[in-house]
Amino acid sequence: MLARKLPLILHNLPWSVSSRAGSDLARRHYDVIVVGGGHAGTEAAAAAARVGAETLLITQKIATIGALSCNPSLGGVGKGHLVRELDALDGLCGRAGDWAGVHFSILNRSKGPAVWGPRAQLDRERYRQFIQSELLSTPRLTVLEGSVEELLVSQSNPNEPGHHRVTGICLVNGSQPILSSSVVLTTGTFLSGSLFMGQTTTPGGRIGDAPSCSGLSHTLRETLGLRVGRLKTGTPPRIVKESVELSLVQIQTPDKEPTPFSFLNTHTHCKPEEQLPCYLTHTTPGVERVVRESLHLNCHIQQDSKGPRYCPSIESRVLRFPGRQHQVWLEPEGLTSDLLYPQGLTMTMPPDLQLRLLREIPALHRAEIRTPGYGVHYDFVCPTQLNPSLQVKSTQGLFLAGQINGTTGYEEAAAQGLWAGVNAARAALSLPLLALCRTQSYIGVLIDDLVGRGVTEPYRMFTSRAEFRTSLRPDNADIRLTPRGFEEVGCVSLRRYKEAVRVRDSLQEGLAALKSVTLSSTRWREKLVERLQVINFCSFSISGLDLLQYKDVSFEMLAAIFPEHLSPYLEFSQRLNIEAVYRPHCEKQSREIERVQEEESLSLPPDMDYLSLPTSLSSEVRELLDRVRPNTLGAATRIPGMTPAAIVHLLHYVLRTAQRNQHTGQRVKAACKP
Amino acid sequence: MLLSTPWRLWRSAISTLKSLRPAPVRHLSIPTDAVCDADTIFALSSGHGRCGVAVVRVSGPASSMVLRNMTGLTQTLPPPRTALLRRITDPHTKELLDRGLVLWFPGPHSFTGEDSAEFHVHGGPAVITAVLQGLGSLKGVRPAEAGEFTRRAFHAGKLGLTEVEGLGDLIHAETEAQRRQALRQMDGELGHLYQDWSSRLKRCLAHVEAFIDFSEDELIEDGVLNQVDSSVHRLQTEIERHLGDERRGERLRNGVQVVIAGATNAGKSSLLNTLCQRPAAIVSPIPGTTRDVVEASLDIGGFPVLLSDTAGLRDGLDSVEREGVRRARQRVEQADLTLVVVDSTQLPTEPKQAPTFLQGYLSIVLPQPSGGNPEEGREATSDRVLLVLNKSDLVPEAQKERTERELRESLGLPPACFLSCHTTTGLGDFLAVLQSRVKTLCGNPLSGAPSLTQARHRAHLQQSVQALSQYHQYRNHDLALAAEGVRLALTHIGRITGRVGAEEILDIVFRDFCIGK
Repeated sequence: MLARKLPLILHNLPWSVSSRAGSDLARRHYDVIVVGGGHAGTEAAAAAARVGAETLLITQKIATIGALSCNPSLGGVGKGHLVRELDALDGLCGRAGDWAGVHFSILNRSKGPAVWGPRAQLDRERYRQFIQSELLSTPRLTVLEGSVEELLVSQSNPNEPGHHRVTGICLVNGSQPILSSSVVLTTGTFLSGSLFMGQTTTPGGRIGDAPSCSGLSHTLRETLGLRVGRLKTGTPPRIVKESVELSLVQIQTPDKEPTPFSFLNTHTHCKPEEQLPCYLTHTTPGVERVVRESLHLNCHIQQDSKGPRYCPSIESRVLRFPGRQHQVWLEPEGLTSDLLYPQGLTMTMPPDLQLRLLREIPALHRAEIRTPGYGVHYDFVCPTQLNPSLQVKSTQGLFLAGQINGTTGYEEAAAQGLWAGVNAARAALSLPLLALCRTQSYIGVLIDDLVGRGVTEPYRMFTSRAEFRTSLRPDNADIRLTPRGFEEVGCVSLRRYKEAVRVRDSLQEGLAALKSVTLSSTRWREKLVERLQVINFCSFSISGLDLLQYKDVSFEMLAAIFPEHLSPYLEFSQRLNIEAVYRPHCEKQSREIERVQEEESLSLPPDMDYLSLPTSLSSEVRELLDRVRPNTLGAATRIPGMTPAAIVHLLHYVLRTAQRNQHTGQRVKAACKP
Repeated sequence: MLLSTPWRLWRSAISTLKSLRPAPVRHLSIPTDAVCDADTIFALSSGHGRCGVAVVRVSGPASSMVLRNMTGLTQTLPPPRTALLRRITDPHTKELLDRGLVLWFPGPHSFTGEDSAEFHVHGGPAVITAVLQGLGSLKGVRPAEAGEFTRRAFHAGKLGLTEVEGLGDLIHAETEAQRRQALRQMDGELGHLYQDWSSRLKRCLAHVEAFIDFSEDELIEDGVLNQVDSSVHRLQTEIERHLGDERRGERLRNGVQVVIAGATNAGKSSLLNTLCQRPAAIVSPIPGTTRDVVEASLDIGGFPVLLSDTAGLRDGLDSVEREGVRRARQRVEQADLTLVVVDSTQLPTEPKQAPTFLQGYLSIVLPQPSGGNPEEGREATSDRVLLVLNKSDLVPEAQKERTERELRESLGLPPACFLSCHTTTGLGDFLAVLQSRVKTLCGNPLSGAPSLTQARHRAHLQQSVQALSQYHQYRNHDLALAAEGVRLALTHIGRITGRVGAEEILDIVFRDFCIGK
């Protein structure tokens, strides 16, 4: 599969000749326009096209499509879950990671399959190439270089909720507007972005790229009346690899057998022996001294907007936890790159001081900087103004994804991008919009947290955010999402669907087979002689499924005892092991999951007039509901300050209305299946 | 404070919607063949206090098991819907708790439509507590949550859809009663204990989560987990000891909580003394004489009453008095019944002004209803408040009569009684009103039997301890499942002390660790 992807040279691509586009495009009407070519934008465009929409991707610079603006890595704990789920929905980033990875490892290997974190260091160049070639070969997708000046909006369709309706976009020096049914904005840090380095501030969203979106920011705020907040982030300096004293750092080697991200791949593009190592070193007291001495020259750190607590700059790390050693990872940027990326050394002081700081670390005592670190301040749209479909509540056809919604991280952006793209396409094709439930996926947790609670700092995924963590594992993302992605969402290819169904059926059969092989404890003891001492049998007749719950028993062992029953399933031995251990815990959770899904399946009309609802709700609760406008009854229960009685009244009202409107179809279909 | 997860309550109400929707296709997870049985629940469904007979109801699939275990009826169950006199024993120690009537209602011919049982036992608090604790110690049996019996009846189709409206009100009433009861219990030593456990569990969970989410990239040593190991172990031991310790330190305030409140020098302490028929509180003409809460236990019409006199509400002059006022407000918040004392000589003398004046007075003395709905608030007020117009001997008879008439005609005010603590004029009428109100409160199981709250707490603590053992079970080979144990334990304690969200855990993570990416 991967072999057919050939490295692409940009000027050979037909769509890179974008100048011709102007007049052609002006006459065209697209189903979906995606603005921005980052992780959210590329997934959105590809997903919209997969669903069947004529899609246009507009980006400032075609060459930077698929660029990794910050760290050269993908996945990790929590983030790896997102990558697996994106792949299960036929997204790009899992396969791109398998193609571009140069150092694969599963984090948390010893802590249980539910929290395994598949992760890879990437070759920046290969990643970009893969994404670009993938977009090129996607039918119904056009790519255009340009900068969007304005969002075109008109009167809303009175039959649907919302005050406005999006009709297309205007390019900066574009003569004529480009029309579309839906628009997905994935502008990243470019929305009123400004870059900080030392005491200099320049407008922009990424160093080396022109600022953009000034008109967009205005339209969102003034025309659409959206609430906007401000966040900050940053990136470290890039270090010349030759200048690093590698004898003074610890070497971290990758997994011997790389595990691919994608359910479709059995191996990665990079051969196991070709993988590159990472390096670990630590900060010194000198680093802290330089930070303190340079504070007055550091505008970024003095700003009071919120940065992420979990990806702090070295400045905020030493200020918050002084007198400690902090870890610095030196990560490869690619097979042919001569640079290293110092993870943990995001900084925004003037470049000369950045160099001084680096050289306080023994291994970096003669380090050279290729590009200095810098900080970015940018606007984000408070995501509580979105539906779980990622459509702006007040504006029909407008979808937002990525950092514009207050998140941080490639995987978080990609996850929203895919889902926004799916719904943008569905809206354009007059299909009901869909939501992902938090009981089914990390993507659902992410979106539910965003639209339900909003953000106060850049939002990053952690496994602890998922209350059903034991059920939402990286290993079963395909079974959780792929069938639905094909049957209901329409974003999954037939080939992937067939494979997922085959896997699902085989797992079921395998579990049934395990259950069917039963022996007395004495007989098991005879057969598993060497494992005897650790197993404390408590009942007489034990199935293979029960036995697999003991940590020293593996599926392979049982298959050796019952080859005729179990050997057909050896292909899935790891997944069967995991299923056997987790099943009892997932079953315990299933009732709670059912409850949440039932609540989520009751959607509340977005235009409900809570203030005059003819049911006995207190005025406080009415105001709360009016302000938050929950999308489902489940979301309503999670609003702090809601009372159980109010929920019952609301339920009663919805039941009555549902009975009355049984035959009139609902626009937003809540997607959790009870 | 969220007492329980009330959202669970109406889950089955939602499931009626299923009949309105097309049949769902289930394909998202590997189908399981395990059936999740509904829990079996119990509650005291008669009043508490000194009543002749108390009725404890049980409903759910394990009802027959409960009946067998509590009555020694190993062979056959009693004939359906027939009272049978039995010895009722503790299911584990087989100690005799009481002799009482037991009834068996096999489903669907019962109130809830499920298998149900009833125990009619003697009404003393000791017997009731023992029976409730015995029930709570059975596996798969737990105290009912607010409105749960009615909700199950609704689910079984024993109530119509239109009655959901009433269900909402019932749940409201029950959660309110439980909230007041819990506030009283959480006030003391016990509350501190639970809060302490909850915050230690939070920290344990935060540290395990930090280890799971960050240890691969960050400097989080294994030492963190060793600390959690010993914390979890200590917590387990402490909770177990507490559970085995026949409620040492749990002083239950039994009886109807009646609180006297009002402005300074309205005669609150005089009212207490009059009702006690002894000078329990110091009375003087100096405003602000009572600074702390003065309590007296009385018997009114055969019902236990805990009467509290509070500091007069005014902007206090010194810190002691301000503290007294704070405590007074807290007491009023927790009260089953509030006697709002007014100095009648302060009533406006112009016609038709008194009701407005009293409305204003009440809004100062009583806490504002949290629901915010004026209708709801007023309704609740008139149930739980009596206006005592004291010093009536100083008011001309004509004005008194006119005011009485005006108050009767005005809507939304609680019942009012003219009274003179000095001459005891009007005392008889007032006592009659008070007695009938106390009787209603006592006869109403919703007023929050302390033993039931206690049983609920015990059930959650037991489940919490069980969940913690899952931590140890998986600690060394699956930290995700170990963390799940701590999370479950925290959820159960959270049903007592308030729900804990994911953000709160992350806050601790970022406070205690320097986390980079």
